[in-house]
Amino acid sequence: MTARPSTIFLAAVTALVAVLLYSPLFVPIVSSFFTVAHGEVVWSSPTVAAYVSLAGNKEILTALRATLIVGACTVLLSVGGGTLLALYYHGRRSGRGALQFIIFLPFLMPPIISGLALLIFFREVGLERSLLTVVIGHTVFVLAIVYRTVLTRLQSLSRSLVEASYDLGATGWQTFWRVLMPNLSSAMAGGAILAFALSFDETMITILVTGTQSTLPVRLWAMMRLGFSPDINALVALILIFTVLLCVLAARVLIPKQVATAAH
Amino acid sequence: MTGTGSARAPTRWPRRLVTLLAFAMPVIFILVPLAIFLGYSFFSVDHGEIDYTLTVANYVRFLSDPIFLPVFWNTCVLCLSVAIICVLLAYPAAYFLTTLKGRWRYMLLMLLMVPLLMSYVIKIYAIRSILGLNGFLNKALVSLGILQEPSSLFVFNMNAILLTLTLLLIPFAILPIFLTLERIPPILRQASDDLGASAAQTFMRVTLPLSLPGVASAASFVFVLAIGDFLTPQMVGGVSGFTFGRVLYSQFGTAYNWPFGAALSVALAAVVVTAILLGERFGRNRGASV
Repeated sequence: MTARPSTIFLAAVTALVAVLLYSPLFVPIVSSFFTVAHGEVVWSSPTVAAYVSLAGNKEILTALRATLIVGACTVLLSVGGGTLLALYYHGRRSGRGALQFIIFLPFLMPPIISGLALLIFFREVGLERSLLTVVIGHTVFVLAIVYRTVLTRLQSLSRSLVEASYDLGATGWQTFWRVLMPNLSSAMAGGAILAFALSFDETMITILVTGTQSTLPVRLWAMMRLGFSPDINALVALILIFTVLLCVLAARVLIPKQVATAAH
Repeated sequence: MTGTGSARAPTRWPRRLVTLLAFAMPVIFILVPLAIFLGYSFFSVDHGEIDYTLTVANYVRFLSDPIFLPVFWNTCVLCLSVAIICVLLAYPAAYFLTTLKGRWRYMLLMLLMVPLLMSYVIKIYAIRSILGLNGFLNKALVSLGILQEPSSLFVFNMNAILLTLTLLLIPFAILPIFLTLERIPPILRQASDDLGASAAQTFMRVTLPLSLPGVASAASFVFVLAIGDFLTPQMVGGVSGFTFGRVLYSQFGTAYNWPFGAALSVALAAVVVTAILLGERFGRNRGASV
């Protein structure tokens, strides 16, 4: 064990880091319940007025709806595409490295580069900027995550499972649906949650490829210049609770398997 | 055997479709846009119209104009500083996590990762209000007697960008360092202990060298994320905090020079690729998997 003073130092730095990380979260959540006047919080009068007025904020609700639509489409496309790519590339020797590299590019490159490349691409092919272009942008961005998650699971599966299925007379489709899919489903679910979480907060690519309809982060970005009304804080608090729940869910789906494989 | 062959036969058609999709999707939506983008860096703009004759003028302008190279260099230094500060804060925190047992270790790790889930835009806004003239930071410093009166030193300049990016990116530094520290076999530390090394010696000679790959990955992650960000500088940088990301973004907005913006992106990509390769080169875990 480490000596006492060093442990105290480590704990102190960790506490400092926690304070630094949580202070930006603390501000909107506190101001969603309390009035803030001249930089001072009025602790005496908690209120849920912000939450009530949020329910009537059309602009924000429209943006939230657009975000959820984009998120759902992104999840469908990226999980479908990512699983297909993982199944296809798994066991293929030639060309896999190069294609895998291409898939990872948008994830490794700064979003401004992926976003601008897509912006120019959409213009060249004559695709009007809309929520569709946003969905394409998000899918390209999160594809690598889903692909990686599914491929990792696929690699941990024993080849004899598929061989046994064929030996017992199953067709290719039967093997796929009855043997591979049940084994991949939790990896796909985990990938879907990650994809949704990333899509939900994606701002930089979205700003570049969106049309007149904007998603929540872009809407917030536009509003930020003028300052936020209290109902935005309420929304932020709700989103935080929602994403934390989502994250706990993702951890439950993904982690037990990884811990089990790491133990070998 | 013949049974297997005939059973696979009906799947031949979908198989071709799968092959086509597997190659077409990444090529059409990733490779082609990037290739067109690269191509654009060799075009030019004439009266708001894009001129498709090939030229290297954009690159010449980037390298010769007295504005762009200094901004580029300053941004690299800024993001390197962010990476260093993040690592300095993240290392002790990650180390502290590994001294904890079982559940607590992962609970605390999770706690330090949760802020990543918070809306990026909202975090920037909240940090700006903390750093501002009426913000919490100034209030705290004045009440502690460190400052006589609220200072505008922390917002709308380079310091603000440095502080904000650091706050936003610390979790990305904690994770890789934690993972390498966790993977160091305890036997190595015990052996060092048995051979009579002090705790400090064990740390300097065993733990620290074995954790350096994690530090390299962490620094590379943070640097890449920081240099690609154009929202943070735009929001907290004010007039003086002009970073490369902002210059690049403005080429597609107010300046309206897409080809030049594309050339600037190529420069950005070059730095990012270098950072990733360096992180990869030094981030590989050698010897820790005993």
